[in-house]
Amino acid sequence: MNHLNEEELIEHYYSTGVDAAQEHLEQCAQCAEAFAALKSDLGEFVAIEPPARNAAYGDQVWHSITSLLPVHEPRKSNWLRLNLWPGLGYAAACALLAAIAFSAGRQWEHRQVQTAVKVTPLPAQHPQQPAAEPVPPRERVVVVVLSDHLDRSERLLVELKHADADSAETVSPLREEARSLLAANRICRQDAKKIDDPDLAEALGHLDHVLAELADRQGSLTAADLARLQNEMSADGLLFQVRVLRSRIPNRRTDKTARSEGGEI
Amino acid sequence: MVRMGQEDHAAIRAVLAGDKDAYGALVVRHSASLFRVAFRITGNEADADDVVQEAFLRGYRKLDSFESRSNFGTWIYRIAVRCALDRIGGRKVDERHRVAEAADPEQDQVQVADHAAGPDRLLLSGEIGALQEAAMHSLTPTERTAFVLRHMEDRTTEEIAAVLGVAPNAAKQAVFRAVHKLRLRLSPLRVSI
Repeated sequence: MNHLNEEELIEHYYSTGVDAAQEHLEQCAQCAEAFAALKSDLGEFVAIEPPARNAAYGDQVWHSITSLLPVHEPRKSNWLRLNLWPGLGYAAACALLAAIAFSAGRQWEHRQVQTAVKVTPLPAQHPQQPAAEPVPPRERVVVVVLSDHLDRSERLLVELKHADADSAETVSPLREEARSLLAANRICRQDAKKIDDPDLAEALGHLDHVLAELADRQGSLTAADLARLQNEMSADGLLFQVRVLRSRIPNRRTDKTARSEGGEI
Repeated sequence: MVRMGQEDHAAIRAVLAGDKDAYGALVVRHSASLFRVAFRITGNEADADDVVQEAFLRGYRKLDSFESRSNFGTWIYRIAVRCALDRIGGRKVDERHRVAEAADPEQDQVQVADHAAGPDRLLLSGEIGALQEAAMHSLTPTERTAFVLRHMEDRTTEEIAAVLGVAPNAAKQAVFRAVHKLRLRLSPLRVSI
């Protein structure tokens, strides 16, 4: 059994709760005797009672020092500073968070635009158009899809215009391409109606009719069928319309950008 | 206690706003407690009075650094202890109260009972008190202050450490050393019955 040293006894003497030393003292007579001696010694040192001071002691102290005290300059700002610092700290933290969020958002948006452009590159732009034009990413994707659709449609119409009904090798791929374009054309047509673009909707309607005729034709395409389709195209000026729409796409985007830059800002 | 704290803070705001007399309320309210601890540390009435005045002067000059969430009583108490510590550290110990290591053997022959409070002990109590005071003066200022705060002011080790500006373990060691020295000083007085 390890006996308690003087420091442990002193610590136990001043402790308020029951500790390990208490258990030891109950079992060890030698340590209990040492503790009793310590207790007796420290018990002799009763708290020194200071000489009595009368009720006016505080006033006496005040009068003895009052002439030595300078007047404090009003320091409202000091108290304001104490109260404002936490608030300013929070405000600074919020501003920092907002700046970080804004910067991260900008970075993310920039990367998204770059990705969209890489996946579906725009056709050659108008020579007068600036190279890096800020267009909202969603609109740019839609424009690219429509542009691609009109591009393919234009090629189909050109081939259809010059097609020879006697050559099955020429006509058969046109029907496949027409079927492929038909679904996309209907989606584009719906979008044109939604964005309230009657010219585009009308042209896509004509295109839809020609594509449907070509795609849905059962059996082989006769010379009469082909001639009728070619006449419809010519009557409607469909190829011309598609070319005009195709060329309008960059201009439409430029107009919208100019409107947002000049009108809203 | 809360009300006193609010009154103290109101007085401090007034003082910092230029109302010097508002400090008087703080002085009146806390002088007695400062005098008590100052006397216990210095062991001298005149020194204790000086310590009280000096503590309030220091407190007034530092008042603009007082943090509004603190307790003024605790704050000025610590300043007073520091003032008392400086005072006993700076003065030469009065030789009249010193008990030298190589004391006159005749002095050591003053004997008292260990546990019983007999008539002899009562007769010698005044002399014992003087010897205790001399033993207290044999301590270093830090040991004496730590012992007074622990034994007489019933302060915790953490509070003592904060007042002395030392680590809690250092404060505890100061109390240990003080008790050890005091017991050593008074051991010749103890005889077994």
